[in-house]
Amino acid sequence: MPFAGFNMPINYKTGIINEHKNVRNHSGIFDVSHMGQILIENNESYLHKLEKYIPLQLNKLIKNRSHYSFLLNKNGGVIDDLIVSNIDIKAKSYLYIVYNASRKKEDEEIFISCAPNAEKIYNKNCLFAIQGPESINVLKNIIDIPNNMNFFDILISKYNNNEIIVSRSGYTGEDGFELSIPNESAENLITHLLKNENTMLCGLGSRDSLRLEAGLSLYGHELNENITPIEAGLSWALDKERLEDENLNGNKVLSDQLKNKLSNKKIGLISTSKSMLRDGMTLFDNNNNEIGKITSGCFSPNLNKSIAIGYIISEFNTDNLIFCEIRKKLELVKINNLPFVKKNYKKNGSIYE
Amino acid sequence: MGAYMSEKKYTKDHEWVSIENEIATIGISNHAQESLGDIVFIELPSVGNSVKAKDEICVVESVKAASDIYAPIDGEIIEVNNNLENDAAIINQDAENKGWIFKMKISDSNQYSELMSEDEYKQFLEQ
Repeated sequence: MPFAGFNMPINYKTGIINEHKNVRNHSGIFDVSHMGQILIENNESYLHKLEKYIPLQLNKLIKNRSHYSFLLNKNGGVIDDLIVSNIDIKAKSYLYIVYNASRKKEDEEIFISCAPNAEKIYNKNCLFAIQGPESINVLKNIIDIPNNMNFFDILISKYNNNEIIVSRSGYTGEDGFELSIPNESAENLITHLLKNENTMLCGLGSRDSLRLEAGLSLYGHELNENITPIEAGLSWALDKERLEDENLNGNKVLSDQLKNKLSNKKIGLISTSKSMLRDGMTLFDNNNNEIGKITSGCFSPNLNKSIAIGYIISEFNTDNLIFCEIRKKLELVKINNLPFVKKNYKKNGSIYE
Repeated sequence: MGAYMSEKKYTKDHEWVSIENEIATIGISNHAQESLGDIVFIELPSVGNSVKAKDEICVVESVKAASDIYAPIDGEIIEVNNNLENDAAIINQDAENKGWIFKMKISDSNQYSELMSEDEYKQFLEQ
C-alpha cells in the first residue's frame, strides 16, 4: 500500500495478528527506512534556532540519550513528533533526529533553516526496528550491546565494519532497538537477524495495532498542527522551563493550557461488541449529543476486542455512557485508561545531565 | 460435489455462489480473503429477509477494513453460517467451503448464469 510516498507492506505472509503476537511474546523486525533521519551539528547557534521549534533545552541533552519531542508551530500545534538524540559520530557531536516520513518536507524546511549543513542520512542509511521482549537475545550475538543499556539510550556500534547507530527504543510498548545501518550492509543484517527462528518481518498493520495498544500517538491521527502536545495528553514530554521562554513557538498558549482547563481530552475506548472502532467515527452521549471523535481504532489481538483512541469534550463526565456510531447504529463503548497494554521498557534515567 | 451441485460462479465484488436445488450458497472468494487479511468479525444477514442483487446485506470486518457483502442475485435469505459468529477466521482458513456465509432461495436463475465462471474470474483478477 502507498504510504508517504513509499510502497509499504501492511503485513507479511502470516498476517497482522500473528505478527502482532510475535512481537508481544518474542520479537519482530520492522523496516522503517521510510522515516526521516538527519544529523545536525551540535553547535550553539544551531541549537538556539532549533529551540524555537523543539520544547527541550537542547544544549543540556545528555550524551547517548534519546528524547521524545516535537516541532511546534507558532500556536503550539504539532508540526511533527520526533525522537532527538545527542550522539558523537567520528569524534564529532551531533543531534540525531528521527521524524515521520509523511512530514519530511515540513520538518526539513525547519531543520535546514536552523542548520544549513544538516545532513539527511535516510538515503544512505536504512532504519530497522526490532521490537519485543526477546529483541536483546536476537541482537546480542550479532551486535555489541552493553548490559547496562536502558530504554532511550543510544550509541554507535559496529556491524560488518560499518558504524551503525543503535538506540534502545521503538513504538510498540515493548523493549526493543532501532538500528540505523548503511544500505550496503542492511540486507546482510536483516538476513542475519532472521536466522533466529523466533523473529519475523512485520508490516505497517501490526506496527499500528502495537502502538495503539501501547496508547502511543500517531501523527495525522492523534497529532496535527491544530493540536498542542498538552491537548494530546503529552505534556510530560515538554520541558516546563521552556514554556517560560519567548524563543519557543507557542510558549504562551502552552503555559496557559497547563494552568487552565482544556476543551478536549484524549481517551481510550474498548468496543463492547465485536464491531470495529475506526478512525473518524463519531462519539455520542446518552442524549444523542455529539461529544467527540475517534482518531485511531483497530482490532487488539491482546484484548481480542476492538480498541480506539479519541478526543471528547472535557465537560463530559466519563462515568456516563458513551456511544459510537458504527455503520449508522449507535453502539455502547467503554472508556479504558491508556495504555491498553502495560509498557515493557528497560527502565531509563533522568533527562538532563 | 453433489450431483445437483452446479459449478461455482463469482461476482465482481469477489463473492462466490454455488447452487443446489435452487438454493444458492454464498461466501467471499479466496482472493478476497487474502486481500482483507485477518477477519475478526462478521455481521451476518437476517434469515427471512428478501433481497435484491447488489443490496448490501452484511459486513465483514478485518484488521484492515470493513467490507460490505452484496447479494449476488435476488432471493430470500434462508440460512446463515452461525459458526462464523464465534470464529470469523474460518473464512481465512477455508473461504470457499467451510467459510460459506449465507444461503438464499433464488428467484431468477438467469442472474446466476450471468455471473463469472472460475476461469473468467481468474482473468478478471488479472486485469
